[in-house]
Amino acid sequence: MTATAAAATGELPDVDVATARHRFRPWRWLSGAVIAVLTFQVAWFVTHNDRFEWPVVAEYLFDPNVLAGLGMSVLLTVLAMLAGSALGVLLALGRLADFGPVRWACGLYIGLFRGIPPLVQLLFWFNLAYLLPRLSFGVPFGPTLGSWSTNDLITPLTAALIGLTLHEAAYMAEIVRAGILSVDPGQRDAAMAMGFTGGQTFFRVVLPQAMRVIIPPTGSQFISLLKGTSLVSVIAMTDLLHAVQTVYNQTYQIVPMLIVACFWYLVVVTALSFAQSRLERRFGRGQRSSRGEWLA
Amino acid sequence: MTDVPVLSVRNIRRSFGEHAALDGVSLDVAQGEVVAVIGPSGSGKSTLVRCVHQLEPIDSGAMYLDGELLGFEHAGNRLRPLPPKRVAQQRRRMGMVFQQFQLFPHWTVARNITEAQVRVHGRSREQAGERTAELLGKVGLTDKAEAHPRQLSGGQQQRVAIARALATRPRVMLLDEPTSALDPELVDEVLAVVRDLAAAGLTMVIVTHEISFAMEVADRFVFMDQGRIVEQGPVADVLADGRSDRLRAFLSRYAQTRDTRSAHV
Ligand SMILES: Nc1ncnc2c1ncn2[C@@H]1O[C@H](COP(=O)(O)OP(=O)(O)OP(=O)(O)O)[C@@H](O)[C@H]1O
Ligand SMILES: [Mg+2]
Repeated sequence: MTATAAAATGELPDVDVATARHRFRPWRWLSGAVIAVLTFQVAWFVTHNDRFEWPVVAEYLFDPNVLAGLGMSVLLTVLAMLAGSALGVLLALGRLADFGPVRWACGLYIGLFRGIPPLVQLLFWFNLAYLLPRLSFGVPFGPTLGSWSTNDLITPLTAALIGLTLHEAAYMAEIVRAGILSVDPGQRDAAMAMGFTGGQTFFRVVLPQAMRVIIPPTGSQFISLLKGTSLVSVIAMTDLLHAVQTVYNQTYQIVPMLIVACFWYLVVVTALSFAQSRLERRFGRGQRSSRGEWLA
Repeated sequence: MTDVPVLSVRNIRRSFGEHAALDGVSLDVAQGEVVAVIGPSGSGKSTLVRCVHQLEPIDSGAMYLDGELLGFEHAGNRLRPLPPKRVAQQRRRMGMVFQQFQLFPHWTVARNITEAQVRVHGRSREQAGERTAELLGKVGLTDKAEAHPRQLSGGQQQRVAIARALATRPRVMLLDEPTSALDPELVDEVLAVVRDLAAAGLTMVIVTHEISFAMEVADRFVFMDQGRIVEQGPVADVLADGRSDRLRAFLSRYAQTRDTRSAHV
């Protein structure tokens, strides 16, 4: 109506949108209210329920045994991640190899170790002595160069490391492979054309570009691996969960001790997430960021 | 130019499955010569330069760089493929420029040009840096040394790619449609750089659809169709009337597309 009026007179109404009032948005008010009520209820529950035993949480938060368990969990995570990533890169390259048997063998490995639950693997490695009482090393069908009792080699630590590493390698292989495939094959051609060797081409040109695709899922892997270390308490490995279990088995203060464990898992995961976003920025150099800015 | 050709391709074949992309191609390129390769899409032009650069294996025939057999060596009285290290050494003596530039996006412009000099040719960072600065000056991009490739226009990226290929002083440069991915207004700045190289006496094989440019810089035209060289010779001869129907058809189709393109611009 106003439009036709304006069209008729040839004049536009004099308006400034800066004077407009905000639109009333009922769903925002409703969701805000629900969140407020829930927050209040949770806070009330947490602070007014004596069974949380907050003084006990405070007492054990920095307990030397708890901290040692935390250190062990972090150490296991870092070692399994490093070894798993290195093995994963090799497996990814194997999956992309020209030679069929190498491709199939790597595919089979990945299928097996992604399919078996890590808990089952840990138990399996821990009980390896039942299957192989002695481990020897030497020339196939030839002389033996060394031989050890499996029970001496497979401690909770080595069983945990082997199990977590092999499991992690299978996941990392798929992540790295996807990363490599995301790089334009022309980049490889260009590097080879300049006379770079295969190794230089892979480590200096292809892998750095693949990192953009590799890092985000690797961050998630790191986090699930940290949480996965809690499984090693079943083979009597003294990780964070095992440390708090040892305490509550004597004191029966189960809830506060689990809160101590949760607290430390969350601290480490938060630190990892932070490190991940720093890395993503670093390897995003020369690329458009998701916000469309230049990262230099 | 009586000595050995810089590049010599003898009856090479390359098939993808049943399809022969190169069906017996022979070509000699003399020192300082500029050869323009033209031909319809799918005629095997890219495959030819990729084979010469050993990015693609050949099924039969032979190729020589300065008289040295490419990709194979004699062992006793048998031939065997060179190990990858030796192939890399042979590639170092040639330069390649791609249609899609293929600069390394994670490195600055300067590092794109410097890295191969240092890692592949063992120059010191200082020496390599000097050469890089000199080349950036030549292609007119001195102020972009610290930029990342994606911050440059297509024409600027291709000029960097040319500088990168020149950095290690190749015996021969292979350019595969260096201007085909560029917006029309950016083509000339790249052609100007190539023109300078031709004037400086660099041996080049240029795959191109820019016929008038090729007429200007090339000593020789090679016309390919269906994996074979159908015509070759000095520019004037090849373009003269009375040549093969296929070339005439190609050139007239080219002239048509050129006309419609300029009509739209
Ligand atoms: N990797 C490959 N796999 C299968 N076929 C291929 C491959 N590369 C090239 N070909 C085929 O070989 C033939 C020659 O291709 P080539 O890219 O050399 O042509 P071209 O002359 O460069 O064409 P254009 O002008 O479109 O770039 C085409 O029929 C193409 O389909
Ligand atoms: Mg092509």
